[in-house]
Amino acid sequence: MKIRRVALNIFAWTIALIWIVPFVGVFMTTLRPLDELIHGWWNFDSFHPTLENFASAWNHPTAALKKGMVNSLIVAIPGTLIPLMIATMAGYGFSRYRFPLRKSFFILVVITLALPQQTIAIPIFQLMNSLNLIDSYLGLILLHSAWGLPWITFFMRNFFTTIPVAAEEAARIDGANDIVIFFKIILPVALPAIGSACALQFTWVWSDFFLALILIYSPNKLLITQRIPLMRGVYNVDWGLLSAAAIIVMIVPILIYLLLQRYYIKGMVGWSLK
Amino acid sequence: MIKKLTFLVLLVAAMSLATTLTVIGPWAGTEMDKFVPVLNEFTKQTGIDIEYKIYRAEDLVNVLPAQFLSKKAPGDVIFMWANFIREYGKKGHIMPLGNVINSEEYLPGALNAVTVNGELYGSAYTGKVKPGFWYRKSFFSEHGLKVPTSWDEFVGLLEKLKNMPNLNAPIASGNGVGWPLSDVTEHFLATFGGPKLTYDLIEGNILWDSYTVRNGLEKLASLISKGYFGEPTEWTMALQQWWAGDYALYFMGSWITGMVDDPNDLGVFALPGAKGVVFGADYAFVPKYTKYPDEAKRLIAWLCGREGQTVQVSQGGHVATVKGIDLANYPPVDREIAKIIQGVTALPDLDDTIGGEFQTTFWDQLKLLWVSPDRLDDVINVIQEKAPRR
Amino acid sequence: MPRKRGSKYAAFFLLPALIMLAVFVIYPVGRTAYISFFDENGTFVGLKNYSKVLTSREIIDLSGFSRGFPLGALVHNIIWIAIHLPLTIILGLSLAVLLKGVKGGSVIKSIVFLGMVMPMIVGGVMINFMFDRNLGIVNAFLGLFGFQAKSWTVYPDSALLSLIFGSVWLWTGFSVILYSAGLETIPKDYYEAAELDGAGPWKTFTKITIPLLKPITVVVATMTLLWELKIFDIVYVTTAGGPGGASNVMALQMYICAFRALDFNRAAVVAVILTLFTLLVSIPLVRSVRDDKR
Repeated sequence: MKIRRVALNIFAWTIALIWIVPFVGVFMTTLRPLDELIHGWWNFDSFHPTLENFASAWNHPTAALKKGMVNSLIVAIPGTLIPLMIATMAGYGFSRYRFPLRKSFFILVVITLALPQQTIAIPIFQLMNSLNLIDSYLGLILLHSAWGLPWITFFMRNFFTTIPVAAEEAARIDGANDIVIFFKIILPVALPAIGSACALQFTWVWSDFFLALILIYSPNKLLITQRIPLMRGVYNVDWGLLSAAAIIVMIVPILIYLLLQRYYIKGMVGWSLK
Repeated sequence: MIKKLTFLVLLVAAMSLATTLTVIGPWAGTEMDKFVPVLNEFTKQTGIDIEYKIYRAEDLVNVLPAQFLSKKAPGDVIFMWANFIREYGKKGHIMPLGNVINSEEYLPGALNAVTVNGELYGSAYTGKVKPGFWYRKSFFSEHGLKVPTSWDEFVGLLEKLKNMPNLNAPIASGNGVGWPLSDVTEHFLATFGGPKLTYDLIEGNILWDSYTVRNGLEKLASLISKGYFGEPTEWTMALQQWWAGDYALYFMGSWITGMVDDPNDLGVFALPGAKGVVFGADYAFVPKYTKYPDEAKRLIAWLCGREGQTVQVSQGGHVATVKGIDLANYPPVDREIAKIIQGVTALPDLDDTIGGEFQTTFWDQLKLLWVSPDRLDDVINVIQEKAPRR
Repeated sequence: MPRKRGSKYAAFFLLPALIMLAVFVIYPVGRTAYISFFDENGTFVGLKNYSKVLTSREIIDLSGFSRGFPLGALVHNIIWIAIHLPLTIILGLSLAVLLKGVKGGSVIKSIVFLGMVMPMIVGGVMINFMFDRNLGIVNAFLGLFGFQAKSWTVYPDSALLSLIFGSVWLWTGFSVILYSAGLETIPKDYYEAAELDGAGPWKTFTKITIPLLKPITVVVATMTLLWELKIFDIVYVTTAGGPGGASNVMALQMYICAFRALDFNRAAVVAVILTLFTLLVSIPLVRSVRDDKR
């Protein structure tokens, strides 16, 4: 029995090793000059670690990640807060009111949750063009907000249905109207769920590539994810640089994950399992 | 009196405002450092101030059409792909330059890529040559190898290299977006089909499954299938490996001279019998919506003329498209390249000139050809589908 | 149980979301479907665009079955599903069960989950890297068994498969987390009772764990299918669909049609076909919402 347990432990950690080795590889490639890598990063005949690749990715002449990081934050923060607000309200509305076509509307929301971004790409491009919002963060933020609504609405509505209405009823008897009740009573209770939705929505907006690709063009406006393919652009393919860039871009969502792990997982599970 | 004075002040102010032009180009970093002196020289000579903005062609292609539609332009002189200049010249968004640029002063063919029905919509600046296969002189002398002067000698050299131990393959294959492979392919096409073939393919006068094209591609495919070309590897990595002796030959553009430790060890040869080499010039145009058409025209004529190009080539890494620049103006490593293109036809880059969906398809299909040379027929068919047709 | 009253409040809570959805999602979807029936001059052409797209070799290339990749973007998506979906479910379930009884199981879970956290565009870079000839760990590993090193993503026969297996590495974290959460909900006494009846570990697994986790499996399968259909970033950054279209997928093909070839009508057709598949997949999701009494 003991042998079996040890074997299982070794097996599990081997799997963990397999999963983490690519990360180690990327780190190694970042830390070492290219000519040390041509026979593999696991080859340690010579080893001269340097942080130069991080610096050059951060200050890259055509695709500086420094700027990309700022740009992505400019998009991701409102792109998280706006839909969070609107969808929390909508989720509450769906959970508390009866009105004609309620179910149909909700099913519509769920269906939009399944859509690929490609479905809306062309009309969005034309719409934004006619609103003069191509190459503007406002357009992208609005789009991200709209795109995040379905799943946050779904998620929050499922959360609100688990909350008893007794407190709300009591407040209503005291004469509070529904809007006051929502902001004073419901929102504080919903904070953990909002936190989960916030962590996920932020990660997804940060990680988005396609919507940015069709809307943002100016070199100095490009978001951080858009700068990654440029790092392997026409005239500068450099594994060290590319790896450094990859690490910088993923560091933000990974930090969020590590700091908010509980909310993150709750969100992921709740979002899909309701 | 006061009225007159105010008017005068306003006039002077207007004039001084009028003389800041915006130039848009793709160069950043060290490339930009080599370009800015050219602009400074123009300001020194004319007193016209210039602001330089960096926009790569890939980004401009998304920005410019929308701006053109609203009769705006982000700059007064803009560097851009030739196919874009032709297309939007035809649509009337670009100022014709026939009266300020004299094509006689340029290398034969240098301005073809920006000419539509005899009207010139842009001008050629300096460029980069894709002269042929590079080798290390030290490597060749160490192994007693000679530069081939005929096709048979070339194949003989490859066979000899292939049998050498410690070599991955005779020729390094640069991967990436796809241009390193297309550069080699264009060189084969121009060598076996003649320089005119490039133009015929651009204009759609000839089919990809015609004998002429197929012949060139078959020559290439036969070399690939014999294993003379290495596996496609990210091209900067391939460069390192080639320099380290994992490969003997590498097809690359002239910018390679700035990427190796010892440029004096570099030698280069074209495929025996090549009568044209690709000369990837940078092209510039003046949008119709510039506020200062006269100054902008003056600037483009100066930049692309002998004076501007002289300043640029002396910075290294560039070759002039305008005739009559003394070789003494080039840094030593570039002189050899500048010499190569005297006496052969300067060809436009095939896929850059056509652009669009053809370019991405062409690149993608060549990646396929490089690993499956037996599928040449498929490759030709797919390319033909996306190729321009008369 | 929702109240019947207060429709003006309902409007306050719901209208912002519904208006935004209508403008930025519903209208564009309808518009995409609409232009898929028109040509570039705005003339109605019926299903002509559809027949053109469905017979183009970019979407379905039957000759590929005798010749080798490419088989067309749609077929590639199907292959992606055929390989990736079972692996996601099997790996997710078995890892969740395994990690439950292992020291540091939650740490291992976190490691496996890292692939889910990073942007897909970065995931693509990592996949490219894993399968590279010189830098890739895959070659180093296979080299131990005497395989010849190669860059797996540059060959038509292995490009798509490399990306698929790479995407397993990225996505398994999702199913592990979901199955782990599901395992928590199975009451311990079920297993105790089974043990008393003399059922072995395999039997408990097939008779208790799998049936009780069925709702989770439905969710995992639905979400995974949607993810597989929407694959874009990974392919864009690694092979751009090549070589010769051998790793092309529908989402990328739509982008190429729309923003490279500037053929919006053809792109709309590709988008509509892709959308139909995702709608088909989301049926269980819709059904569970419809039957939800809350």
